[in-house]
Amino acid sequence: MMFYITNKFFIRSLFAVNILLLCSFSGFSQFRVKGKITDEKGESLIGVNVMVKNTSAGTLSGLDGSYSIEVTDKQSIIVFSYVGYGTKEIGVNGMAEINVVLNESAELLDEIVVIGYGSQRKSDLTGVVSSIKSEDLQKVASANITQALQGKIAGVQVVSGSGRPGEAPIVRIRGTGTLNGASPIYVVDGLILDNIDFLNATDIASMEVLKDASAAAIYGTRGANGVIIITTRQGSKNTKAQIRFNAWQGVQQPAKLLSLTNASEYGLLVNELSNKPVFQNPGSLGQGTDWQNEIYRNAAFSSYNLQVSGGSDQMTYSISGDAFLQDGIIKSSYFNRYSLRINNTYQIAPFIKIGHNISFVQSAANREPGGIVFNAYAADPTAPAVDADGNFGNTSTLSNVSNPAAQLKYNAYNRSSGQQMAGNAFVDVNPFKNLTLKSSIGFNSFSNKSKSFEPQFFVNDKQQNPESRLFVGNSQSSDWQWENTAVFQKDFKQHRLTLLTGYTVQSRQGEFMGGSRNRLIGDTEDFYYLNAGDAQTATNYQGASTPERYESYLFRSNYAFKDKYLLTVSFRRDGSSKFGSEKRGGNFPSLAFAWRAKEESFLKNLKGLSNLKLRASWGILGNDKIPTGAAIPTVTNNLSAVFGPDEALIFGASLVTLANPFLQWEQSRSLNGGFDIGFLDNRLTAEIDVYHRLTTKILVPVPIPDYVGSAGNPYVNAADVVNKGLDVTLNFQNKEGKLNYKLSVLGSFLDNNVISLGSTGNALRDVVINGDFATLTQPGYPIGSFFGYKVAGVYQNAEDVKKYPNNNPVKPGDLRFEDINNDGIINAKDRTWLGSPIPTFNYGFNLELSYSGFDFNADFNGVYGNKILNAKKMFRGFGIPNFETSFLNRWNKDNLSTTDPRITNGGYPNFVVSDHFLEDGSFFRLRTLGLGYTLADGLVKKLGIRSLRIYATANNLFTWTKYTGYTPEVGSENVLQVGIDRGIYPLSKTLVFGIQCNF
Amino acid sequence: MKNIFPPFRLIFVMFALVFYPSCGEEFLQVKPLGEINAQNFFREEKQGGWAINAIYNQMRSWDFVSFPYLGMTDIVSDDAVKGSFPADAERLNAFDDFIYDSRNPEDIRQTWRGYYQAIFRANVAIDGIPRIPKMNETLRKKWLGEAHFLRAHFYFNLVRWFGSVPLITKPLTQDEFYTQERASVEKLYEQIKSDLNVAASSLPLKSAMEPIDLGRVSKGTAAGLLAKVFLTQGDFTNAAKWAKEVIDSKEYSLYPDYARLFRKEGENGVESLFEIQATALEASYAGATAFNMVQGVRGSPNLGWGFNNPSDDLVRSYEPGDPRRDATVLYVGEVLPDGSGVIEDNPSMENERYNQKAWVESHPGLQDNGPGNIRILRYADILLIAAEALNEINNPTEALKYLNQVRQRARGTRTTVLPDLVFSDKLTLRERIWKERRIELAMEQQRWFDLVRTGQVEKVMKNLGKNFIKGKHDLFPIPQTEIDLSEGKMTQNPGY
Repeated sequence: MMFYITNKFFIRSLFAVNILLLCSFSGFSQFRVKGKITDEKGESLIGVNVMVKNTSAGTLSGLDGSYSIEVTDKQSIIVFSYVGYGTKEIGVNGMAEINVVLNESAELLDEIVVIGYGSQRKSDLTGVVSSIKSEDLQKVASANITQALQGKIAGVQVVSGSGRPGEAPIVRIRGTGTLNGASPIYVVDGLILDNIDFLNATDIASMEVLKDASAAAIYGTRGANGVIIITTRQGSKNTKAQIRFNAWQGVQQPAKLLSLTNASEYGLLVNELSNKPVFQNPGSLGQGTDWQNEIYRNAAFSSYNLQVSGGSDQMTYSISGDAFLQDGIIKSSYFNRYSLRINNTYQIAPFIKIGHNISFVQSAANREPGGIVFNAYAADPTAPAVDADGNFGNTSTLSNVSNPAAQLKYNAYNRSSGQQMAGNAFVDVNPFKNLTLKSSIGFNSFSNKSKSFEPQFFVNDKQQNPESRLFVGNSQSSDWQWENTAVFQKDFKQHRLTLLTGYTVQSRQGEFMGGSRNRLIGDTEDFYYLNAGDAQTATNYQGASTPERYESYLFRSNYAFKDKYLLTVSFRRDGSSKFGSEKRGGNFPSLAFAWRAKEESFLKNLKGLSNLKLRASWGILGNDKIPTGAAIPTVTNNLSAVFGPDEALIFGASLVTLANPFLQWEQSRSLNGGFDIGFLDNRLTAEIDVYHRLTTKILVPVPIPDYVGSAGNPYVNAADVVNKGLDVTLNFQNKEGKLNYKLSVLGSFLDNNVISLGSTGNALRDVVINGDFATLTQPGYPIGSFFGYKVAGVYQNAEDVKKYPNNNPVKPGDLRFEDINNDGIINAKDRTWLGSPIPTFNYGFNLELSYSGFDFNADFNGVYGNKILNAKKMFRGFGIPNFETSFLNRWNKDNLSTTDPRITNGGYPNFVVSDHFLEDGSFFRLRTLGLGYTLADGLVKKLGIRSLRIYATANNLFTWTKYTGYTPEVGSENVLQVGIDRGIYPLSKTLVFGIQCNF
Repeated sequence: MKNIFPPFRLIFVMFALVFYPSCGEEFLQVKPLGEINAQNFFREEKQGGWAINAIYNQMRSWDFVSFPYLGMTDIVSDDAVKGSFPADAERLNAFDDFIYDSRNPEDIRQTWRGYYQAIFRANVAIDGIPRIPKMNETLRKKWLGEAHFLRAHFYFNLVRWFGSVPLITKPLTQDEFYTQERASVEKLYEQIKSDLNVAASSLPLKSAMEPIDLGRVSKGTAAGLLAKVFLTQGDFTNAAKWAKEVIDSKEYSLYPDYARLFRKEGENGVESLFEIQATALEASYAGATAFNMVQGVRGSPNLGWGFNNPSDDLVRSYEPGDPRRDATVLYVGEVLPDGSGVIEDNPSMENERYNQKAWVESHPGLQDNGPGNIRILRYADILLIAAEALNEINNPTEALKYLNQVRQRARGTRTTVLPDLVFSDKLTLRERIWKERRIELAMEQQRWFDLVRTGQVEKVMKNLGKNFIKGKHDLFPIPQTEIDLSEGKMTQNPGY
């Protein structure tokens, strides 16, 4: 009831605003038209927008579908529009009563698809563009809408980097093309961004993924990893206010906890590896503490969104407010975001339209105490969280990690709050028919404040803080972008031509500052300001990131002949400040052709076949995701030394890293071929594409020998990589009586292969774990492949040790590695390729059913063919961390295991990189299960609600996988470091209940 | 109203065409903010000084002064054991037990990395300072002398730990990253001596240095290190010559109180040739090292982590009543040297005793703000080098003179301990000098190098029941990562 009143109030105030804005355009002569609006079945349609074309006059149809509207001119045209139905325009022609039947809209082929710097009818597309509907984005309860892409679009791989609230997942489009910064770019209402953390799902009207070179080439340097275009919701002209209210609440819990040894099992293992009784009677220790229970929780989250949109013939508006509130499944962590968006357009003259899309976002988050996931995994289970005297248990002496429960008390204050304003303002001018000039200023300014506080405390001599300490940091960044485009569009007889030319510039810059002080005068939050600390202990820093600038010229022509032969040619010239002046410019052409074969006379009448389109494209794209300054090293300051009788710190500075003045553009050339086919009036459709993408001179910071002495790895043009793939999407939808159903199946096969290495010819190695590089990138293998020893068995006895000689001393019970090169001795030369972290097959199934008012959907997705290195099992650190229960299968005199080694605490051979720690990363997951019910009549209508949907959605309910870690989704932004599980913030499973209400 | 639009439309189009924008080249030319880059470096005199200070700076890094350093000097030798709780950094037992390999513990790689990063900074200075267009030539010479000395010092440790290693004497370019091979030990020593000769001929005497330069290396430092280099190579004539040069310069003397030499008052004193300089600042820990914290008393008073504990063998090897033992070892129950507290028993510790030479007086900040200078080369060391070399070249009288100077300072005013030694035969004297070196320089990270240099290491380690393999453990393994990255151009030391 409460929100009924609120909304009524809302409608009224909005109406008032509307009147104020529009009254100046009202006319005075009057003529009344009335009538009734029904659907095909003769049922009344309530709330249909009824507008007089080119005026502000409008109304909504009433409860019985009737309407009444005044027109100024008997020759006026009345526009009837209703969401989900085709819009009708009917001339009044002096009629006083007009009854209208609206048809459910059958979009499909002629839906409009947003492409770079414009939009196109789907039937006219030549490139590979996939769209995702706004409703699909709302199915996954997450702060980040890219989560919803998982398993929805063939060729798009989404890996949840971690379950931390608010954290963005890792997105790869058509494989890993580069070794560096392989993420796509996001274009939000024309604004180019690297992330879309600030967007909420309900504000999004459509999301398009540009997958092939032809579609993405218009973004030149920025497009090599694919482009995701997002259009936010706009009001529509001549539409009465539409109010939408969405709310959901839900609960999350860790999708899985690990099986760790309990106190007595741990005691047993510690005794065994120490060769002496550290614990006198391990059996008596019992269960002890499962530290996972100390840090994880069931956490609530919720989202509320209110949106009002509409328009007259002079303007459109869409205003929305959103709150997203999420507690993390690790105690103390949370992420809250509040956003406001105003998207308006104003027709200020018949040929000039101006507008703006502006969003303001405020967020607040608290991060979990540092390292707590690993600490809960590693902490000594024999120590209590809190002992009988109320003191925190000591996990430092034996397992040498902090007591996680104490961390939650003392290290839990890690706040950050952000403010972001992003959007654009534009002017569209149609000086002549066929020509549209557009100029748009985009901006994205972001400021973030962070604070962390640690009180004075003492848990034990290792876990303590003798003085309270406060850190604060502020950062600001601002991007601006200015885009100018001219579009010429002309149809002549059998030809249709669209020409686009444009000029864009973009600039990014950021600054940061911060400091710390100790010995605060108070321990509560109201003292968390540097001034409350001892100035004697003050530290500070301030700096700026090197500006990034781009200047680009672009051109594109879309040509259609007889609506059958489609040709797209595009070209972009980019300048990037990241390269030296000689290598600054890059040219990025593309070409695409499509043939709508179904329109040919010989297929036109073929029954059953409803669509057939063949496509081919080629293009060159660039990638400049390297830090500014990679070509020229900067001098590191504050490398100071102590001299003189007063022991003064004397300023020092030097070059500590090498840079590479020979850096060149990384380029990728893509070829794509595919077809769209439809049968049975497009109830069955398929889109199939094959592609070949060659990325040359990939830019990457490659580990170089330590003897070079560089503190960081310089960027080099290191290798050429090929991604070959096949993307398949099948859709079947049908209706039987009241039952509508739709089944989609999608799959992407990917083959990633390094074909040659850069000028040095050396293989690339990365990620040192226990003294070995865990990944190797070499020709003939996927990027970042795992490299190490293959386990052949376990040395059972002294004879075995003699029989399989090892370069390093080994004992019975140790892992025995394969003598790969058959030279009779096991040594470093026997390490070999162990597997790829990149799935060869990504797939998804989506099922949607609706019956009467009920709707049901189930989404499954999965990957196949990748490996994960369970690195957290390998870290033995500074103490004796807890073990996973799998270590109980160890070799010992009572259990002559041939797969699991004796218990040791690190070192060769049991803890070096080998396939002992490599696991199958394939999984199949029930991603979403949803059930909803829509009420659209009866009581609901009497309350003035057009429709009300209530629903329940569960995410990540089941995952079928052999992987033993928290989640088989282990991503990394660095492609040489993918699939290495170091103990990330675990993924959660969620259940939400919500309502969607339209007025 | 309508009439005004057509010309306006036309004007708009023309405007758009005329002003069709171009920002031009300057727009894309950006500079790093708040930093200078390689192109602007070594343009002014002061920048040369910055580059030199940056080399000294690296010597305070973790890789230089903590687990990696202590593990590969004291812990691996018979002077010390790992220390701390049994389970704490258990991997360091590999040094005690001679089970380290090319991967574990990672500290070996950290040493390698830290030293080559220091060499990089020295190479940057040696490469850049001659290019500074206008500067005081005396200063240029002095700075280059410092850089050459420091580079020699780094290579001297590397060659003693790893044997033959890549000899990098300039910043490498991309095509040289993977092509380096291990230079022969002879070649490395040639470079070390040549660098030290440059240093000795360009650095000022300690007495001629400005007070503000206190802590920088001097002519005497270079001469002293040359003596040690020659001694290591078995060139006793030159070792004696350079040691005598230091002695005869009269620039140095023994600090009267052995125990207080390692306190703050002994820093950069009359006995000091070379120390890694550190200080505890109040605000940031920018002047500190981890050296004191890693070895500090663990428990109560809570001064550090309690690693690198003096071994039973070391404690046993002192002559009766030698006051240097109590100056070197902190025991449970002992009052701290500044009287600030008593060390309480920590039941979690095994073999609980601490390196007193790494103990520091109360200072601003916490444990990790360690202010103690790390003694690298001091006059007593030079005297013992002289003694050893002179004995080898059959000048026992002079040898004994220097040896007894060291003993005399150690006994101070005591009359019943550490009597002056007399000559019996060359062999006995040699062993007496070796023993004196161990005691005098105990827990000062010299012992391992002396054991290997003198060839005693196998016998000493076998006597302690260690699994020492001759021909293998004399050298540390080359990190596996280096061998892998060079695709085999780098070879491994024998036995690993």
